Amino acid sequence: MRGMPKAIKPLIIIILAVGVAAGAAVYLSRGSDETATTSDAPTHADIKGGGHFRGPLSGEKPELTLVEFGDYQCPSCGAYHPLVKEILDRYPKQLRLEFHHYPLISIHPNSMAASMAAEAAGEQGHYWEMHDALFEYQMQWASSPNPEAMFIAMASRIGLNQNAFMQALRSPELQQRILKDVERAQEAKIDAVPTFFINGERQHIKLSMDDFVQTVESHLHK
Amino acid sequence: MKLRAALVALLAFIGMVDALYLSIKRNTGPIPCHVTHGCTDVLTSKYSSIGPIPLSWFGLAFYVTIFSLAVFKLFEDSKNPASGPLSVIFYLSGAALIVSALLVGIQAFILKAFCEYCLLSAALVLMIFLLSPHPTPRKLPA
Repeated sequence: MRGMPKAIKPLIIIILAVGVAAGAAVYLSRGSDETATTSDAPTHADIKGGGHFRGPLSGEKPELTLVEFGDYQCPSCGAYHPLVKEILDRYPKQLRLEFHHYPLISIHPNSMAASMAAEAAGEQGHYWEMHDALFEYQMQWASSPNPEAMFIAMASRIGLNQNAFMQALRSPELQQRILKDVERAQEAKIDAVPTFFINGERQHIKLSMDDFVQTVESHLHK
Repeated sequence: MKLRAALVALLAFIGMVDALYLSIKRNTGPIPCHVTHGCTDVLTSKYSSIGPIPLSWFGLAFYVTIFSLAVFKLFEDSKNPASGPLSVIFYLSGAALIVSALLVGIQAFILKAFCEYCLLSAALVLMIFLLSPHPTPRKLPA
């Protein structure tokens, strides 16, 4: 029993320290969100032209357009991909996705080739099938020294004409289309991928379905 | 010796904040990088967890253990010092140092992206290891 008070002091300090550390971590995690929303990046962007559309066509006048600037090799874009698909499924008439390429080639050496693969599939009317496959199999091709062979195999699984696909992979016109998107991203001062906009307003959506739904709902009821 | 234990406790406390911050941010959205580039890439990669358990949780368990050992060392009876806590810190931080080196290697050579919070953790582990005294073999009584 004599030893008890001696052990209690350090135990109290340990419990207090864990509590203070947790409080500091919560405070810092909130603080960095505020920094992100008040950074130099403009809160609005007028993205003109380009992009691939998914969801209601423009004739059907969806209430909201979710613009995504993404990089097929970026793991966080891959992590957000199922959430984006689900949110489109939840709001089939109100929400439309407009995807723009922003391959960060300095850190993702296969990202440009992946964007080319998506565009090449798009030439045969299967952009979104390739878009989904690129994110779903990202881990397989991302670190490959020869990703094109994998893209060709994916194109074959989708049912694309292989020769036409391979030719399109080298198309300077398609590359130009991607570079135009990169210019749009730079004009909008995008410094991270994925970056989302809803009706031109920059969004900071957390990696959770609840936050996605909350963000969309708040714009639907504006 | 007590000064070393106090410094180890301080470093472990910083490590706890770092690991807790990463555990929170992992579930709540993009992780801002202020010094390096690619925090989110690193922290959402397949190397960022073992099964469903994020590495930051292992880091948190490590730092809480180190902090507790250092605090117990600070409160030990100076007339009858025990070499236990600091030698456990030495072996634990040695193992953590190997894991940290491996993780820094993954960032540099596989992901080609760095996370400043992970680099901070690696630096903390290195400092804790250097501060913990190398256990010396006890001489047997003649």
